[in-house]
Amino acid sequence: MAFEPLAVKAVSASVTPPPGIKNVPEVIKLIDVSSCIGCKACEVACQEWNDLPANVNRPFFGSYQTLPDLDWNFWQLIKFNEVQRDGRFIWTLTKYQCMHCGDPGCLRACPAPGAIVQYANGIVDFVQENCIGCGFCITGCPFDVPRLSPSTGKVYKCTLCSDRVSAGLEPACVKACPTKCLSFGTKDQMLAQANYRVEQLKAIGYDKAAVYNPPGVGGTHAVYVLPYGDSPEIYGLPRNPSVSFVDVWKGGLRWLGNLVVFGGILGAVLHYLRFGPRRVPEEEPVPAGPTPRPTEPVPGDNG
Amino acid sequence: MAVQERRRVLVRRYSLFERVVHWAVAVTFVYLMLSGLALFWPPFFWLAQVLGGPTLVRIMHPIVGIAFIVALLVMLAMWAKDMVLDRLDIEWLKAAPKYAAGQEEGIPESGRFNAGQKLLFYLQVVAGILLLLSGIVLWFPTQFPAGLRQVSFIVHDLFAIAAIGALILHVYMGLFYIRGSLQGMVEGVVSRAWARAHHGRWYRQVEGTSAVIEEGHD
Repeated sequence: MAFEPLAVKAVSASVTPPPGIKNVPEVIKLIDVSSCIGCKACEVACQEWNDLPANVNRPFFGSYQTLPDLDWNFWQLIKFNEVQRDGRFIWTLTKYQCMHCGDPGCLRACPAPGAIVQYANGIVDFVQENCIGCGFCITGCPFDVPRLSPSTGKVYKCTLCSDRVSAGLEPACVKACPTKCLSFGTKDQMLAQANYRVEQLKAIGYDKAAVYNPPGVGGTHAVYVLPYGDSPEIYGLPRNPSVSFVDVWKGGLRWLGNLVVFGGILGAVLHYLRFGPRRVPEEEPVPAGPTPRPTEPVPGDNG
Repeated sequence: MAVQERRRVLVRRYSLFERVVHWAVAVTFVYLMLSGLALFWPPFFWLAQVLGGPTLVRIMHPIVGIAFIVALLVMLAMWAKDMVLDRLDIEWLKAAPKYAAGQEEGIPESGRFNAGQKLLFYLQVVAGILLLLSGIVLWFPTQFPAGLRQVSFIVHDLFAIAAIGALILHVYMGLFYIRGSLQGMVEGVVSRAWARAHHGRWYRQVEGTSAVIEEGHD
């Protein structure tokens, strides 16, 4: 979306340091699940601000959800999870979108320089201009967020309205929320507000209420207050998301590859210098003359 | 031609068909290696630009991969019977350090292929099949679950690394260390001395057949 080089903190597949020099506070979108009423105003605002087509002409699939899942042109979704807890039915209305991880697996998985950037304020953005459509980010993401468009061959996801935020506005979804379920502000403010809300929930009987800001991905810039914080799964959130697979994939394997490629070439050069070429001495040349014409078939000759 | 002209004795080593298949495998492998390295490690990304741009490389890599697998399977059918490891091959492998150190003595004679070539062949076939299976998963990431995709990335990278390591060895042997090999795979013939020295058992099989030719006669 709006690409802001001066605020870029990390760039995918880059061998040189990122260009960012701006000193800006990290931002967080706080999602207080306990006060979501499932009105979907955020979904509408997202589609409208980002000029994304409504792709809702699908058969009814037994839920109030707009779509079964995120899509390349549908970047955020209220999940209407129907679960049982303590013998009661609960509807966990949970806004789902890119989490804008502190340590983004997508960015580390991406092989295309500059296709994924992380801004100093914590927003992780896809730069479709540089995207090659390999889909590595889909496997790198622990939250299953990036979506590949079959028509453009590029991936898309929530930008946390990086264009609005860079102009000093809150994301469109936050602006549209009628219940203050969504808040947007600096990391310190939002975490303080989240902790305060958790205490409020505990006081009214939700003794397992907790903040969802998973450390396995370096914390996120979309943070939840979960009334049943001991079981994030009922909200459709992974319990311990991590990028440990990306560590193996983009860490250990790369060095093994380098060792084999460069070690192999170096080994061959050293071997050649030490042992030289292996030549067979020429036999005594045969004097010219008629050659006997053999008749047997040639073993090992298929042609 | 002068009657006194001296001629070398040559031995037919690879038919035209075998050479075409070998170079089809070789060319597709090199494309897959270069395009794969471009996506594997950012300092190699410039290779994608050389090969026509990164998005084109992303589209072409799996398609060339299918061509590679087809050529590799033809090669497997073509050479399977020549690639069976026998007792003398085991002896050869034990003597491999001597062979690598350039010694002539104490190395058992090889058949059409030596044990090192056979192992390289098996490695490439196994790697090729695993690269194909994992590559299909990576080709269509939205069609497969995350766990399978993760395993496929590890398998694809590991066996690509193994195959590239084997290729470095193969190119070094064929182009630099064992002089006279390249002629076999390009022109299809090797000198009789080369055949005796490197593939003695094979030479005795073809001795006296039409595979042995004198330059200027055929």
